[in-house]
Amino acid sequence: MAAAPALQTHPDLFPSVRRTPLPGGYMGKLLRVDLTAGRFEELNLPEEPILRRFWGGQALALYLLHHLLPMDAKPFDPESPIIMMTGPMTGTGLTPGGTKMTSIYLSPATGYTLGRAATSGFWAVSLKAAGFDGLIFTGKASSPVYLYLDDGRAELRDASAVWGKGTRDTEDLLRAEVGHQDAKIGCIGPAGENLVHAAMMANDYNHFAAHGVGAMMGSKNLKAIVARGPRRPPLRDKMALIEAGKRWDATLRRPGKDANRDVGHAASWGAMTKHNWQTTIINADDNHGFEKNRIVRRPCFQCGRMCPWDVELGDGSHPGTLAHFDAGSEWIDTFFNLDVTGNDVLYLAERINDLGIECSHFADGAGLAFEAFEKGLLTAEQAGGMDLKWGDLPTIERLLEMCARREGWLGNLLADGPKELAEALGGEAMQWVVHTKGGTPAQHDWRPLIGNMLREMTASGGMKPQGGGSKDVPPDLKYRESWEPLSADKADGWAWSHILSEQYRQASGMMGACWFAMNPGVPDGLNSMVDALNATTGWDLSLDEMLTAGHRSMIMQSVFGTQRGWRAEDDYTNIGPRFLEPIPDGKYQGFTIAKFLPGLIHEYYRLSGRDEYTGRPFKDTLQKLGLEEFSEWSEAE
Amino acid sequence: MNPEHLLTVNGERRPYPTARLSDGKPRSIMFDANACIGCRQCVEACKDWNELPRGNQYKINPSTWLTMEPPLLEGIASIWGRNSCMHCEYPVCAAVCPVEAITKFDEGPVVIDQSLCIGCEYCVYACPWHVISKSDVTGKATKCTMCVDRISENKEPFCVQACPANALAFGTVEEIFAKVEERAASFGGKVYGKAEAGGTHVLHALTQEPEAHGLPRLEPDRYPKHDIPLDKKIKGVLTMTAGIEGKVRAVKNAVTKPWRLKYRYWHTPEPPR
Repeated sequence: MAAAPALQTHPDLFPSVRRTPLPGGYMGKLLRVDLTAGRFEELNLPEEPILRRFWGGQALALYLLHHLLPMDAKPFDPESPIIMMTGPMTGTGLTPGGTKMTSIYLSPATGYTLGRAATSGFWAVSLKAAGFDGLIFTGKASSPVYLYLDDGRAELRDASAVWGKGTRDTEDLLRAEVGHQDAKIGCIGPAGENLVHAAMMANDYNHFAAHGVGAMMGSKNLKAIVARGPRRPPLRDKMALIEAGKRWDATLRRPGKDANRDVGHAASWGAMTKHNWQTTIINADDNHGFEKNRIVRRPCFQCGRMCPWDVELGDGSHPGTLAHFDAGSEWIDTFFNLDVTGNDVLYLAERINDLGIECSHFADGAGLAFEAFEKGLLTAEQAGGMDLKWGDLPTIERLLEMCARREGWLGNLLADGPKELAEALGGEAMQWVVHTKGGTPAQHDWRPLIGNMLREMTASGGMKPQGGGSKDVPPDLKYRESWEPLSADKADGWAWSHILSEQYRQASGMMGACWFAMNPGVPDGLNSMVDALNATTGWDLSLDEMLTAGHRSMIMQSVFGTQRGWRAEDDYTNIGPRFLEPIPDGKYQGFTIAKFLPGLIHEYYRLSGRDEYTGRPFKDTLQKLGLEEFSEWSEAE
Repeated sequence: MNPEHLLTVNGERRPYPTARLSDGKPRSIMFDANACIGCRQCVEACKDWNELPRGNQYKINPSTWLTMEPPLLEGIASIWGRNSCMHCEYPVCAAVCPVEAITKFDEGPVVIDQSLCIGCEYCVYACPWHVISKSDVTGKATKCTMCVDRISENKEPFCVQACPANALAFGTVEEIFAKVEERAASFGGKVYGKAEAGGTHVLHALTQEPEAHGLPRLEPDRYPKHDIPLDKKIKGVLTMTAGIEGKVRAVKNAVTKPWRLKYRYWHTPEPPR
């Protein structure tokens, strides 16, 4: 591979010769890809003290991004990097959840906060098998390319044959082209190519890194990353890891016999996003036809949680369609939000994944378009001559295509996002839109749930939020926390519960573990993960230190926003009003978190060591977390 | 084959080394093709326990001792099959080995001793399931060991403990016989591996005919007919396959146990017991 000019950074960041031992779990190498020059640079991972602070995943990637992203760069500027990072737990094979890859970049959805796109499956494991813990992409290729990694070798190959293709065809074609069935592929669809602000990267059919990483790849003419290899991460204490992995496995929730035959996550609290968030009622026959589907679990690499599933549709407009889904069910709410029901929902979900558009981005944009059309604010001419009839499958499928390819006035605005569409429509549309800082919340009706709303609002918009406080103290944290079960309609205690959850969820991503495989609600849910990390790396971290590491990541993420103009008040001012309206109907009718604002948000920042108005960390917070180097961005006490 | 017979098997002469790991109780693996979802966690677990290279997991090779058939990507397929060493009660691979490098353990495993193997490939060709391969790196034959190191510590094989779909089980021969019959009956399937080649220690509950699961149809005769290529036999006899030391061992074996030679050179299958 041709060598790229060396990066000019602190010598501990990418040491030319390691001075500290590499902990277990790491391959020890990053690959920097300069797409403009078509060159590679193999970099050593940072020295051990840096790894011990940031572990891997989103935190290590962000620490590097802080050093590599020019302060005035825009998301799609060639010098705006995408950093993709696994963690030490990724690919050991001996625990659940060791599948995580997190991409970090300046968010194209908000333009001023952090973009974080996480994915599981097999692809991250293959990246390590190819010899790399992570990838750093800078520059822009002059024509579409894909990166091919095979056992330490790297090539940039012409991707013109797959440019324009959907994620499913791209994966199949590239696997055939490289001639290895064990090659794993992360790729973008037309949405990423056309810079849809919340375009996704798809990998291993069932997995999607959302929140704009697809657009970032598209902006660099990077269609895909194909990885394979024979390598495995070295382990410090394999037998101890097996034991910890078994304990971790015992804490997993697993899908029941009838999994994926109901309307998904929304069923668990009984409110669904429908009719652009104007009704929440779940009807008994909303899932009609689901009972006729053939469903097979398609678990991630060595994980017993078995979230992903393949389905062959048994009825609806497109029976026989094969669809591939992961954990969660935001895509079901997405099309219920447009008044589709039954198997047509799953058909459209497969289409949106093939095109590579994040579902909530489309759900809230298209939902607004339908409502505005119905209420006369959006014209047929603006809609490309279409009659936007709620629930009409051909119309919605056409809108998906228009969004992915930025076709026409409406397609272009759907690609930009719901906030941009509302601004273009003007008038009352500004009241009907759901967005968070220009990004979108995960597509569920969180409005009745205080902890989840707090999470969605404080997460950097356009970034998959982390955490979501629990009503009860997680059993493993009882040694240090104690509170009475929190009330669903009182704000008391939710801020702190959320902060804790954000810390352990962040820590999960940092170790390279999927937080769907994390179950803090049962004994040993957290301790088994800490023990697994220690067995892998050779460290001796405590659960307290795991939470501190997560806290470090939280603060570093908000410092990134601070550097680019974000303030805490944006969380409740730069937000689509409908997200904060009283719930219109159903069992939670009339409830709104708005009555607790901004107090709840202020409490969240204060309790996590940040100023409640600016969101900047206090100096002593930085000191406690070992982040003194960011002191210039702190708030004077 | 029946459990009582197995328990007394050490009383008869066998054309290969036998040995005892722990309590001498024979054990078996069960594979339920109806429960299998084709996720290949068993395949990766095998690689993890044995620290075999990642990747290349779709066909048997020195770094992949267990495959799931057909060699399609994970996910929706109408049928899955397990392809790996069957740990035969009468292992013909062991019978043809000129240096007695393959041992049948009382507890079930058939294991190639890497320090004894001379890489002649007789076992590779003799195995009726074609699940032995020769490493280009070490020049030795490799295959599933049934996790003999774990069984000796009374632990189940690593593939079995990894299955998230409850498609694999491990236990004494009696337990697994009962379980595989029960599983097969529950979906109207067939048991495979109980009679084939004189009986094995991996029992499959199949949903369809063996061929559909990627398995050969075999007679119940012990030490099934094999076809070691003539050139391999000539090479084995006339050359120093594994140097002088290996040759000395092979010749010594042939001289001291001439009754074993028939399994290599003029073998006919033996009727089931």
